[in-house]
Amino acid sequence: MAALLTAETSDYSGQMVSAINQAKVDEAGLIARAKRSDSQAFEQLYRMHIDRVYGLCLRMTGNTHEAEDCAQEAFIQAWNKLDRFRGASAFGTWLHRIAVNAVLGRFRKSKRERDRIQVVAQDAPVPASINDSGDLRDLSDAVDKLPEGARQVFVLHAVYGYSHEEAGKMLGIATGTSKAQLHRARRLLVQQLENEGYEV
Amino acid sequence: MNDDREDKLMVKARQLSTSISPQRDLWPGIAEAIDRPVNRSWMPMFAQAAAVVLLVAASSGITWYAVKDNQIVVAEYRPELMFEQASFGSRYTLGSGFQEARDMLMADMNADLDQLAPEEREDVEKSLAVMHGVIVEINAELVKDPENLYLQEMLLKTYRDELALMRKVGGVTKNVMLRNDI
Repeated sequence: MAALLTAETSDYSGQMVSAINQAKVDEAGLIARAKRSDSQAFEQLYRMHIDRVYGLCLRMTGNTHEAEDCAQEAFIQAWNKLDRFRGASAFGTWLHRIAVNAVLGRFRKSKRERDRIQVVAQDAPVPASINDSGDLRDLSDAVDKLPEGARQVFVLHAVYGYSHEEAGKMLGIATGTSKAQLHRARRLLVQQLENEGYEV
Repeated sequence: MNDDREDKLMVKARQLSTSISPQRDLWPGIAEAIDRPVNRSWMPMFAQAAAVVLLVAASSGITWYAVKDNQIVVAEYRPELMFEQASFGSRYTLGSGFQEARDMLMADMNADLDQLAPEEREDVEKSLAVMHGVIVEINAELVKDPENLYLQEMLLKTYRDELALMRKVGGVTKNVMLRNDI
């Protein structure tokens, strides 16, 4: 039985590795085709990556409509800049950088626009498509209420796992600033959750 | 103690969903934007600016012929335009409002340029460079002949063309951002 389990596990993990490698090959092929202006290949890349790109935009803006616009803009920009993608980083990471720029661009657009986004974010219901449940939902809501800079660093570093250096590069801030913003975000989140009676 | 709670928070944060499906398919909007044929409509603007350069060159040639014994002042190219009151003759003045509006449009356009395809961006930048060159040349001519109505009209037209181009860039890049939910 144990041998059978080991064999099955080994077989399963082998299949996973093979599937991942296959996906990488497929993605490389799709990128090459998209670079030759094949929009069908680009659509497949969009289908592969939209959830993570949209997820990042939603976490950073805290608003579904803004997140949709940012994700859409990110893919349009990715298409326009595809010839500059050299594969130095994963395609998903490259897309994330573009998405972060799209979000920051919208925030920068004007103070009035930024205020409007925040007001909408405060009033908007929690998107039903976020699958966080229980205490994770509480944390998710608390993250949405963080100040802009702290939220952006927290999302990139704590949620998406980017290093401070990577997050700093994406956001155009120094590594030290990213660390300081994370420290601030952690402190604010603990305070906020405790004030609302949640156990951290 | 607080550090413990913050550490737990970080562990929880890594469990938050990173993949979230949008509530609607965003592909149709993207497809519409990327399938649009490459917009080469900057070329007429570029050609228009080039035509103005030729006119100014011709005008300069005539001026040179008329005053060839005098020393010729070579206009210096400056990427940032200087609005010198004297160079507009006595009929036209550009208020500070124009300068502010132009600066705002220019700042917006610099941000919008990043959203254009590389070829489009190159076309816009070429057109702007030509227009800036034209403005500098006309200004230089107007310093010598401040009452020349033809040059004054041409200068104002070039400013208008520049503003039109900046607005056009803004329009193109903002089209992709239009939402139907507002």
